[in-house]
Amino acid sequence: MILEDHVDIVNEDDVIAGRRKVRMLAAEIGFSPAEWAMLAAVITELSRNILDYAGRGEVLFHAIEDGGRRGIAVIARDHGPGIPNIKEALQASYSVAGGLGVGLRGVKGLMDSLEIISVPGKGTTVTARKWLS
Amino acid sequence: MREIAGELQREYSDALRDYLARPNERALRRVYEMGRGTLTDGVGVLGIAALHHQALKDVIPGLSEEIEEALLIKRAEDVFIESLMPFEMSHRAFREAIAVLRRMNERIEQEAKRIAHALHQEAGGLLASTHLALEELSHDLSPQGSERLTLVRQLLDQMDEQLRQLAHEIRPTILDDLGLLPALNFLAKGMSKRSGLAITVEGSTEGRLPPAVETALYRNVQEALNNAIRHAQAGAVAVMVSREARAVRCSIRDDGIGFDVSAVTAANGERGLGLVGMRERLEFLRGTLAITSAPGQGAELLMHIPLEG
Ligand SMILES: Nc1ncnc2c1ncn2[C@@H]1O[C@H](COP(=O)(O)OP(=O)(O)OP(=O)(O)O)[C@@H](O)[C@H]1O
Ligand SMILES: [Mg+2]
Repeated sequence: MILEDHVDIVNEDDVIAGRRKVRMLAAEIGFSPAEWAMLAAVITELSRNILDYAGRGEVLFHAIEDGGRRGIAVIARDHGPGIPNIKEALQASYSVAGGLGVGLRGVKGLMDSLEIISVPGKGTTVTARKWLS
Repeated sequence: MREIAGELQREYSDALRDYLARPNERALRRVYEMGRGTLTDGVGVLGIAALHHQALKDVIPGLSEEIEEALLIKRAEDVFIESLMPFEMSHRAFREAIAVLRRMNERIEQEAKRIAHALHQEAGGLLASTHLALEELSHDLSPQGSERLTLVRQLLDQMDEQLRQLAHEIRPTILDDLGLLPALNFLAKGMSKRSGLAITVEGSTEGRLPPAVETALYRNVQEALNNAIRHAQAGAVAVMVSREARAVRCSIRDDGIGFDVSAVTAANGERGLGLVGMRERLEFLRGTLAITSAPGQGAELLMHIPLEG
């Protein structure tokens, strides 16, 4: 059983590979098909930001466990310019995507937790978790 | 517009055909992006449903010979979910935003309670001490001096009265303690005195209403009376409250200059902010607001809130 995977994100084909792999892992863990699609959307949005703002980076995902609960963690990492103001980046007014609830804000809504660590000039790490219900 | 729609339809049908023939992630990604694009273009969920439905009609006949129907249906579902995902995200974000707004509203009410209490108790207490100090002072004064002091005391009494009234309008403790009708009566008295407008309050709630209903009705009557004072040039306003088996009704009627309802409630009308706030308060309680008015005819607001049980 493979309980972790990762994809370098350099071009659009990598995004598709990331989506496919996250679905396989999500199935393995026991998520429903609708949840596979949610995780694919999460990979898409995080990869899009990597390509748009950092040029390249990677996404990783692995099974997680906490007191009998099982779930998945998705991590997107790049060494791009970073997000100067994380709170703002998650706000509806900041971008068209945010205003409509897709983009980073959309990721937050589909997952149970979202954590963004960013150092200006050094890069960005986004970690999102989702638990089996 | 029609051309764009045709193009989008071709693209969607293409992606669906591709996926139904052989499930692949690239086709799903395309559909996801189409959903995301239509979201930003304002096409909407029904637009996507129509797109999907038409695509099925375009594509299924060409495939049903080779691939079993049950399998086609299963695969088509994957595609449909993918196209709806951006809308699901959007929906979740809006739901969260509304919850945040409601929490903020509650917090504002609580803050108002705190300020009203401080005004009433603390400023009121200081005033009482001032009275006592003046009382002591009065013993040492000449007759002319005491006369002037009496004037000062009258001014202080007026200030006390105004503080009470202000505290009440910020957060009516009467509302919490005695209920809607007493609170509305107190409000009407104060506003009437300040504006010169004759305000009457009639009716009954036949017992206490849920706190959220009392607050919403109180705030809306307050807003309506403010509007009547500021815009209506009315001589009299009547507030009526009545109780039905499973609802409460409240109307506010004035005999002023009236207004064009459709112009004021238009989405872009900045003037309508008060009315928008009133609607929002009622919607939260599944209530409704009806406005009847025309230039020269006065205005009537009618609120209706269903009650459980
Ligand atoms: N990996 C990243 N590196 C640097 N900045 C980022 C990164 N990810 C997001 N951001 C910043 O956060 C903002 C919000 O991102 P989000 O994906 O919500 O919307 P968007 O990217 O602006 O819109 P869209 O996704 O439609 O292109 C971005 O505008 C960008 O400034
Ligand atoms: Mg983005």
